[in-house]
Amino acid sequence: MNLCAILFLLAFTTPSWGKDIKVFPDLNLNNPNELKEATRVLEEELKLAARPQTYLLIDLSGGTIHIKGRGVGLHQIPIIVWSAESWKDLKGIHRLVARPQVVRRKVEPGAEVEQEPISLADMPADYVLSFSPSLSVTVVPSVESDSLFQSAVLLGKVGWRNVRDWTSRLLMDRSSEPTAHLRLTLSVNHAQSLAWSLVDGMALVIRRPTDK
Amino acid sequence: MGRLLLATSAVVLLLLVVISAFTTNHVASENSAAVHQPAVQDKDDLRTLQARYKALSKQLSHLMPNQPYILVDTARNRLYVKHQEQVVLDAIASTGSGIILDKPGEGNSQWIFDTPRGEFLVKSKLTNPTWIKPDWAFIEEGLAVPQNAADRAEQGVLGEYALGFGKGYFIHGTLYTRLLGKNVTHGCIRLNDSDLKGVYKLARVGTPIMIF
Repeated sequence: MNLCAILFLLAFTTPSWGKDIKVFPDLNLNNPNELKEATRVLEEELKLAARPQTYLLIDLSGGTIHIKGRGVGLHQIPIIVWSAESWKDLKGIHRLVARPQVVRRKVEPGAEVEQEPISLADMPADYVLSFSPSLSVTVVPSVESDSLFQSAVLLGKVGWRNVRDWTSRLLMDRSSEPTAHLRLTLSVNHAQSLAWSLVDGMALVIRRPTDK
Repeated sequence: MGRLLLATSAVVLLLLVVISAFTTNHVASENSAAVHQPAVQDKDDLRTLQARYKALSKQLSHLMPNQPYILVDTARNRLYVKHQEQVVLDAIASTGSGIILDKPGEGNSQWIFDTPRGEFLVKSKLTNPTWIKPDWAFIEEGLAVPQNAADRAEQGVLGEYALGFGKGYFIHGTLYTRLLGKNVTHGCIRLNDSDLKGVYKLARVGTPIMIF
Protein backbone atom coordinates (compact mmCIF):
# COMPACT_ATOMS: atom_id res chain seq x y z
CA MET A 1 0.00 0.00 0.00
CA ASN A 2 1.55 3.30 -0.99
CA LEU A 3 1.73 6.46 1.10
CA CYS A 4 -1.22 8.15 -0.66
CA ALA A 5 -3.49 5.20 0.09
CA ILE A 6 -2.48 5.22 3.76
CA LEU A 7 -3.11 8.97 4.02
CA PHE A 8 -6.49 8.52 2.31
CA LEU A 9 -7.48 5.82 4.81
CA LEU A 10 -6.29 7.90 7.75
CA ALA A 11 -8.32 10.87 6.55
CA PHE A 12 -11.50 8.81 6.78
CA THR A 13 -10.69 7.14 10.07
CA THR A 14 -12.23 8.83 13.07
CA PRO A 15 -9.60 8.97 15.75
CA SER A 16 -11.12 7.94 19.06
CA TRP A 17 -8.29 9.45 21.05
CA GLY A 18 -8.70 13.09 21.88
CA LYS A 19 -12.23 13.33 20.49
CA ASP A 20 -14.76 15.74 21.98
CA ILE A 21 -16.47 14.21 24.97
CA LYS A 22 -19.44 15.37 27.00
CA VAL A 23 -18.07 15.38 30.52
CA PHE A 24 -21.23 17.01 31.91
CA PRO A 25 -24.15 16.17 29.62
CA ASP A 26 -26.51 18.50 31.54
CA LEU A 27 -24.23 21.51 31.12
CA ASN A 28 -25.74 24.53 29.39
CA LEU A 29 -22.90 25.90 27.29
CA ASN A 30 -24.63 29.29 27.10
CA ASN A 31 -24.75 29.73 30.86
CA PRO A 32 -21.50 31.42 31.93
CA ASN A 33 -21.86 30.50 35.59
CA GLU A 34 -22.37 26.84 34.81
CA LEU A 35 -19.39 26.98 32.46
CA LYS A 36 -17.17 28.53 35.12
CA GLU A 37 -18.02 25.84 37.63
CA ALA A 38 -17.64 23.03 35.08
CA THR A 39 -14.28 24.46 34.01
CA ARG A 40 -13.07 24.64 37.60
CA VAL A 41 -14.09 21.00 38.16
CA LEU A 42 -12.40 19.91 34.93
CA GLU A 43 -9.18 21.63 35.95
CA GLU A 44 -9.24 19.69 39.23
CA GLU A 45 -10.19 16.44 37.53
CA LEU A 46 -7.34 16.72 35.04
CA LYS A 47 -4.87 16.62 37.94
CA LEU A 48 -6.50 13.43 39.25
CA ALA A 49 -6.95 11.73 35.89
CA ALA A 50 -3.27 12.19 35.10
CA ARG A 51 -2.34 9.65 37.79
CA PRO A 52 -3.10 5.91 38.05
CA GLN A 53 -5.87 6.01 40.65
CA THR A 54 -9.60 5.90 41.05
CA TYR A 55 -11.32 9.03 42.37
CA LEU A 56 -14.76 10.38 43.23
CA LEU A 57 -16.65 13.13 41.49
CA ILE A 58 -19.77 14.22 43.34
CA ASP A 59 -21.85 16.03 40.77
CA LEU A 60 -24.46 17.93 42.80
CA SER A 61 -25.71 19.58 39.62
CA GLY A 62 -26.30 16.28 37.88
CA GLY A 63 -27.35 14.47 41.08
CA THR A 64 -24.81 11.68 40.64
CA ILE A 65 -21.70 10.33 42.32
CA HIS A 66 -19.15 9.12 39.79
CA ILE A 67 -16.33 6.70 40.51
CA LYS A 68 -13.75 7.51 37.87
CA GLY A 69 -10.27 6.66 36.69
CA ARG A 70 -8.31 8.42 33.92
CA GLY A 71 -11.40 10.50 33.19
CA VAL A 72 -13.45 7.37 32.48
CA GLY A 73 -16.69 6.86 34.39
CA LEU A 74 -16.40 3.44 36.05
CA HIS A 75 -19.58 3.49 38.11
CA GLN A 76 -22.42 5.88 38.87
CA ILE A 77 -24.49 6.27 42.01
CA PRO A 78 -27.63 8.43 41.93
CA ILE A 79 -28.17 10.96 44.73
CA ILE A 80 -31.75 11.16 45.98
CA VAL A 81 -31.40 14.34 48.05
CA TRP A 82 -28.45 16.38 49.20
CA SER A 83 -27.77 19.37 51.40
CA ALA A 84 -24.64 21.25 52.40
CA GLU A 85 -23.22 23.65 54.94
CA SER A 86 -20.32 25.99 54.14
CA TRP A 87 -20.76 24.45 50.77
CA LYS A 88 -19.41 27.38 48.83
CA ASP A 89 -16.04 26.22 50.22
CA LEU A 90 -16.43 22.82 48.59
CA LYS A 91 -13.76 23.67 46.05
CA GLY A 92 -10.47 21.91 45.35
CA ILE A 93 -9.40 18.32 45.81
CA HIS A 94 -10.22 16.53 49.05
CA ARG A 95 -8.65 13.29 50.27
CA LEU A 96 -10.49 10.62 52.25
CA VAL A 97 -8.95 10.33 55.72
CA ALA A 98 -11.58 8.39 57.66
CA ARG A 99 -14.33 5.98 56.67
CA PRO A 100 -16.46 3.47 58.55
CA GLN A 101 -14.83 0.27 59.74
CA VAL A 102 -15.97 -2.90 58.05
CA VAL A 103 -16.40 -5.97 60.21
CA ARG A 104 -14.33 -8.70 58.62
CA ARG A 105 -14.52 -12.37 59.42
CA LYS A 106 -11.37 -14.25 60.35
CA VAL A 107 -10.16 -17.62 59.06
CA GLU A 108 -9.22 -20.15 61.70
CA PRO A 109 -6.27 -22.13 60.29
CA GLY A 110 -7.22 -25.67 59.44
CA ALA A 111 -10.88 -25.12 60.31
CA GLU A 112 -13.36 -27.39 58.54
CA VAL A 113 -16.01 -24.68 58.23
CA GLU A 114 -15.34 -21.99 55.63
CA GLN A 115 -15.90 -18.40 56.67
CA GLU A 116 -18.66 -16.49 54.92
CA PRO A 117 -17.03 -13.95 52.56
CA ILE A 118 -17.69 -10.25 52.88
CA SER A 119 -20.45 -8.88 50.64
CA LEU A 120 -22.24 -5.63 49.86
CA ALA A 121 -24.77 -6.47 52.57
CA ASP A 122 -21.97 -6.21 55.15
CA MET A 123 -21.33 -2.60 54.19
CA PRO A 124 -22.84 0.23 56.24
CA ALA A 125 -25.58 2.37 54.70
CA ASP A 126 -25.47 5.15 57.28
CA TYR A 127 -22.00 6.61 57.82
CA VAL A 128 -19.74 9.65 57.87
CA LEU A 129 -16.69 10.16 55.66
CA SER A 130 -13.99 12.62 56.66
CA PHE A 131 -11.88 14.33 54.05
CA SER A 132 -8.88 16.62 54.17
CA PRO A 133 -8.93 19.64 53.90
CA SER A 134 -11.80 19.79 56.34
CA LEU A 135 -14.90 18.31 54.79
CA SER A 136 -17.29 15.73 56.16
CA VAL A 137 -19.74 13.82 54.04
CA THR A 138 -22.67 12.17 55.78
CA VAL A 139 -24.33 9.38 53.85
CA VAL A 140 -27.85 8.48 54.95
CA PRO A 141 -30.07 5.77 53.45
CA SER A 142 -33.40 6.78 52.01
CA VAL A 143 -36.36 5.79 54.16
CA GLU A 144 -38.24 4.01 51.38
CA SER A 145 -39.15 0.59 52.63
CA ASP A 146 -41.83 -2.02 52.13
CA SER A 147 -42.36 -2.30 55.87
CA LEU A 148 -43.85 0.53 57.92
CA PHE A 149 -41.90 -0.67 60.93
CA GLN A 150 -38.58 -0.60 59.04
CA SER A 151 -39.41 2.89 57.77
CA ALA A 152 -40.13 4.08 61.30
CA VAL A 153 -36.90 2.56 62.63
CA LEU A 154 -34.89 4.14 59.80
CA LEU A 155 -36.57 7.51 60.31
CA GLY A 156 -35.87 7.21 64.02
CA LYS A 157 -32.18 6.56 63.32
CA VAL A 158 -31.96 9.54 60.97
CA GLY A 159 -33.78 11.75 63.48
CA TRP A 160 -31.53 10.61 66.33
CA ARG A 161 -28.47 11.39 64.26
CA ASN A 162 -29.83 14.85 63.45
CA VAL A 163 -30.29 15.53 67.17
CA ARG A 164 -26.70 14.36 67.76
CA ASP A 165 -25.37 16.54 64.89
CA TRP A 166 -27.19 19.62 66.16
CA THR A 167 -25.96 19.05 69.70
CA SER A 168 -22.35 18.56 68.63
CA ARG A 169 -22.54 21.70 66.50
CA LEU A 170 -23.92 23.71 69.41
CA LEU A 171 -21.15 22.46 71.67
CA MET A 172 -18.44 22.91 69.03
CA ASP A 173 -15.67 25.42 69.66
CA ARG A 174 -16.57 28.37 67.43
CA SER A 175 -12.96 29.39 67.09
CA SER A 176 -11.98 26.11 65.43
CA GLU A 177 -11.66 25.81 61.65
CA PRO A 178 -15.11 25.58 60.02
CA THR A 179 -15.85 22.23 58.45
CA ALA A 180 -17.70 22.07 55.17
CA HIS A 181 -20.43 19.48 55.46
CA LEU A 182 -22.21 17.60 52.72
CA ARG A 183 -25.13 15.32 53.42
CA LEU A 184 -26.15 12.77 50.79
CA THR A 185 -29.27 10.64 50.84
CA LEU A 186 -28.84 7.48 48.76
CA SER A 187 -30.81 4.28 48.42
CA VAL A 188 -29.61 1.61 50.85
CA ASN A 189 -27.94 -0.40 48.06
CA HIS A 190 -26.21 2.65 46.64
CA ALA A 191 -25.00 3.77 50.07
CA GLN A 192 -23.51 0.31 50.61
CA SER A 193 -22.05 0.31 47.11
CA LEU A 194 -20.32 3.64 47.77
CA ALA A 195 -18.91 2.35 51.08
CA TRP A 196 -17.56 -0.70 49.25
CA SER A 197 -15.80 1.33 46.56
CA LEU A 198 -13.97 3.74 48.87
CA VAL A 199 -10.22 3.51 49.27
CA ASP A 200 -8.12 5.23 51.95
CA GLY A 201 -6.74 8.48 50.59
CA MET A 202 -9.22 8.50 47.69
CA ALA A 203 -9.52 11.90 46.04
CA LEU A 204 -12.80 13.77 45.73
CA VAL A 205 -13.93 16.66 43.55
CA ILE A 206 -17.35 18.27 43.89
CA ARG A 207 -19.30 19.99 41.14
CA ARG A 208 -21.63 22.55 42.74
CA PRO A 209 -24.83 23.80 41.18
CA THR A 210 -24.92 27.39 40.00
CA ASP A 211 -27.61 30.02 39.49
CA LYS A 212 -29.73 29.03 36.53
CA MET B 1 -44.08 0.28 84.53
CA GLY B 2 -43.94 -1.67 81.26
CA ARG B 3 -46.73 0.45 79.78
CA LEU B 4 -44.98 3.63 80.82
CA LEU B 5 -41.76 2.45 79.17
CA LEU B 6 -43.65 1.50 76.01
CA ALA B 7 -45.45 4.85 75.89
CA THR B 8 -42.18 6.75 76.45
CA SER B 9 -40.48 4.76 73.67
CA ALA B 10 -43.38 5.50 71.33
CA VAL B 11 -43.20 9.22 72.10
CA VAL B 12 -39.41 9.32 71.56
CA LEU B 13 -39.74 7.41 68.29
CA LEU B 14 -42.52 9.73 67.14
CA LEU B 15 -40.39 12.74 68.02
CA LEU B 16 -37.43 11.38 66.07
CA VAL B 17 -39.67 10.61 63.08
CA VAL B 18 -41.00 14.17 63.13
CA ILE B 19 -37.49 15.62 63.42
CA SER B 20 -36.16 13.55 60.53
CA ALA B 21 -39.19 14.34 58.37
CA PHE B 22 -38.64 18.02 59.07
CA THR B 23 -34.96 17.70 58.18
CA THR B 24 -35.69 15.84 54.94
CA ASN B 25 -37.98 18.63 53.77
CA HIS B 26 -35.38 21.16 54.79
CA VAL B 27 -32.78 19.26 52.82
CA ALA B 28 -34.92 19.14 49.71
CA SER B 29 -35.48 22.87 49.79
CA GLU B 30 -31.75 23.52 50.17
CA ASN B 31 -31.04 21.94 46.82
CA SER B 32 -32.23 25.11 45.20
CA ALA B 33 -29.31 26.98 46.79
CA ALA B 34 -26.49 27.55 44.39
CA VAL B 35 -23.07 29.03 43.94
CA HIS B 36 -23.43 32.59 42.83
CA GLN B 37 -20.77 33.52 40.30
CA PRO B 38 -20.06 37.05 39.11
CA ALA B 39 -21.85 37.81 35.85
CA VAL B 40 -19.95 37.51 32.61
CA GLN B 41 -19.59 40.82 30.81
CA ASP B 42 -20.33 40.01 27.20
CA LYS B 43 -20.46 37.41 24.49
CA ASP B 44 -16.68 37.43 24.05
CA ASP B 45 -16.27 36.31 27.63
CA LEU B 46 -18.79 33.55 27.05
CA ARG B 47 -16.92 32.40 23.95
CA THR B 48 -13.65 32.38 25.89
CA LEU B 49 -15.27 30.28 28.61
CA GLN B 50 -16.73 27.88 26.05
CA ALA B 51 -13.36 27.51 24.34
CA ARG B 52 -11.65 26.87 27.70
CA TYR B 53 -14.24 24.25 28.64
CA LYS B 54 -13.87 22.47 25.30
CA ALA B 55 -10.07 22.55 25.52
CA LEU B 56 -10.16 21.03 29.01
CA SER B 57 -12.65 18.36 27.91
CA LYS B 58 -10.31 17.45 25.10
CA GLN B 59 -7.36 17.28 27.48
CA LEU B 60 -9.35 14.92 29.68
CA SER B 61 -10.20 12.70 26.72
CA HIS B 62 -6.47 12.48 25.96
CA LEU B 63 -5.97 10.86 29.38
CA MET B 64 -8.61 8.20 28.70
CA PRO B 65 -7.31 4.81 27.54
CA ASN B 66 -7.06 4.79 23.74
CA GLN B 67 -6.85 1.00 23.72
CA PRO B 68 -9.08 -1.70 25.22
CA TYR B 69 -8.96 -1.71 29.01
CA ILE B 70 -10.16 -4.09 31.71
CA LEU B 71 -12.76 -2.91 34.21
CA VAL B 72 -13.46 -4.96 37.35
CA ASP B 73 -16.45 -4.36 39.61
CA THR B 74 -15.54 -6.18 42.84
CA ALA B 75 -18.90 -5.53 44.51
CA ARG B 76 -20.87 -7.24 41.78
CA ASN B 77 -18.08 -9.61 40.67
CA ARG B 78 -18.05 -8.60 37.01
CA LEU B 79 -15.16 -8.12 34.65
CA TYR B 80 -15.54 -6.12 31.45
CA VAL B 81 -13.16 -5.46 28.61
CA LYS B 82 -14.10 -2.06 27.24
CA HIS B 83 -12.94 0.00 24.31
CA GLN B 84 -14.09 3.55 24.89
CA GLU B 85 -17.81 3.27 25.66
CA GLN B 86 -18.19 -0.14 24.03
CA VAL B 87 -18.23 -3.33 26.10
CA VAL B 88 -16.15 -5.87 24.18
CA LEU B 89 -16.39 -8.64 26.78
CA ASP B 90 -18.64 -9.06 29.82
CA ALA B 91 -17.75 -11.83 32.27
CA ILE B 92 -18.84 -13.09 35.67
CA ALA B 93 -15.81 -13.16 37.96
CA SER B 94 -14.84 -14.01 41.50
CA THR B 95 -12.91 -11.42 43.48
CA GLY B 96 -11.46 -11.03 46.98
CA SER B 97 -13.36 -12.40 49.98
CA GLY B 98 -12.29 -9.67 52.39
CA ILE B 99 -11.58 -12.33 55.01
CA ILE B 100 -8.56 -11.95 57.29
CA LEU B 101 -5.94 -14.45 58.44
CA ASP B 102 -3.42 -13.84 61.23
CA LYS B 103 0.25 -14.10 60.31
CA PRO B 104 1.70 -16.54 62.85
CA GLY B 105 4.47 -15.13 65.00
CA GLU B 106 4.08 -11.60 63.65
CA GLY B 107 2.06 -9.96 66.41
CA ASN B 108 -1.01 -8.19 65.05
CA SER B 109 0.03 -8.58 61.42
CA GLN B 110 -2.65 -10.06 59.13
CA TRP B 111 -3.37 -10.98 55.56
CA ILE B 112 -6.48 -9.28 54.19
CA PHE B 113 -7.86 -11.12 51.19
CA ASP B 114 -9.10 -8.11 49.23
CA THR B 115 -8.78 -7.49 45.52
CA PRO B 116 -6.79 -4.26 45.33
CA ARG B 117 -8.76 -1.21 44.07
CA GLY B 118 -7.36 1.41 41.73
CA GLU B 119 -5.61 1.44 38.40
CA PHE B 120 -3.11 -1.23 37.40
CA LEU B 121 -1.47 -2.49 34.23
CA VAL B 122 -1.18 -5.99 32.81
CA LYS B 123 2.43 -6.78 33.63
CA SER B 124 2.69 -10.36 32.41
CA LYS B 125 0.81 -12.84 30.25
CA LEU B 126 1.36 -16.50 31.05
CA THR B 127 0.15 -19.71 29.44
CA ASN B 128 -0.36 -22.87 31.48
CA PRO B 129 0.68 -21.05 34.65
CA THR B 130 1.98 -22.85 37.70
CA TRP B 131 0.68 -21.66 41.05
CA ILE B 132 3.53 -21.04 43.46
CA LYS B 133 1.57 -21.35 46.68
CA PRO B 134 2.26 -18.48 49.07
CA ASP B 135 2.63 -18.92 52.84
CA TRP B 136 -1.02 -18.12 53.55
CA ALA B 137 -2.23 -21.04 51.42
CA PHE B 138 -0.49 -23.48 53.78
CA ILE B 139 -1.29 -21.62 57.00
CA GLU B 140 -4.96 -21.37 56.07
CA GLU B 141 -5.09 -25.16 55.72
CA GLY B 142 -3.27 -25.65 59.00
CA LEU B 143 -0.17 -27.02 57.23
CA ALA B 144 3.50 -26.25 57.77
CA VAL B 145 5.04 -23.84 55.28
CA PRO B 146 7.49 -25.90 53.18
CA GLN B 147 11.15 -24.94 53.13
CA ASN B 148 11.68 -26.33 49.66
CA ALA B 149 10.40 -24.02 46.87
CA ALA B 150 9.52 -27.00 44.67
CA ASP B 151 6.95 -28.09 47.26
CA ARG B 152 5.00 -24.89 46.63
CA ALA B 153 4.40 -25.48 42.92
CA GLU B 154 0.92 -26.65 41.90
CA GLN B 155 -0.09 -27.30 38.29
CA GLY B 156 -3.52 -26.99 36.69
CA VAL B 157 -5.35 -24.89 39.27
CA LEU B 158 -5.07 -21.48 37.55
CA GLY B 159 -6.47 -22.53 34.18
CA GLU B 160 -4.73 -22.16 30.82
CA TYR B 161 -3.81 -18.49 31.13
CA ALA B 162 -2.91 -15.88 33.73
CA LEU B 163 -2.47 -12.14 33.48
CA GLY B 164 -0.37 -10.65 36.26
CA PHE B 165 -0.99 -7.13 37.48
CA GLY B 166 1.58 -6.84 40.25
CA LYS B 167 2.27 -7.88 43.85
CA GLY B 168 1.29 -11.48 43.12
CA TYR B 169 -2.22 -10.66 41.87
CA PHE B 170 -3.46 -12.36 38.70
CA ILE B 171 -6.51 -12.70 36.52
CA HIS B 172 -6.68 -16.47 36.09
CA GLY B 173 -8.97 -19.47 35.62
CA THR B 174 -10.58 -21.65 38.24
CA LEU B 175 -11.65 -25.18 39.01
CA TYR B 176 -14.49 -23.79 41.14
CA THR B 177 -16.73 -22.32 38.45
CA ARG B 178 -19.81 -22.69 40.69
CA LEU B 179 -18.34 -19.93 42.88
CA LEU B 180 -18.11 -17.40 40.04
CA GLY B 181 -20.10 -14.29 40.91
CA LYS B 182 -19.07 -14.48 44.57
CA ASN B 183 -16.35 -12.85 46.64
CA VAL B 184 -14.33 -15.94 47.44
CA THR B 185 -10.73 -15.39 46.32
CA HIS B 186 -7.60 -14.35 48.17
CA GLY B 187 -7.41 -11.21 46.01
CA CYS B 188 -6.93 -12.62 42.51
CA ILE B 189 -9.65 -12.36 39.88
CA ARG B 190 -11.05 -15.67 38.65
CA LEU B 191 -12.85 -16.26 35.35
CA ASN B 192 -14.22 -19.28 33.54
CA ASP B 193 -12.11 -20.81 30.76
CA SER B 194 -13.75 -19.14 27.75
CA ASP B 195 -13.85 -15.65 29.30
CA LEU B 196 -10.25 -16.04 30.42
CA LYS B 197 -9.24 -16.94 26.87
CA GLY B 198 -11.10 -13.88 25.56
CA VAL B 199 -9.40 -11.54 28.03
CA TYR B 200 -6.03 -13.11 27.28
CA LYS B 201 -6.51 -12.46 23.55
CA LEU B 202 -7.73 -8.87 23.98
CA ALA B 203 -5.20 -7.74 26.58
CA ARG B 204 -1.58 -6.93 26.02
CA VAL B 205 1.22 -6.21 28.44
CA GLY B 206 0.47 -2.59 29.37
CA THR B 207 -3.33 -2.87 29.10
CA PRO B 208 -4.89 -0.79 31.92
CA ILE B 209 -6.94 -2.58 34.59
CA MET B 210 -9.36 -0.38 36.54
CA ILE B 211 -10.67 -2.01 39.70
CA PHE B 212 -13.32 -0.52 42.00
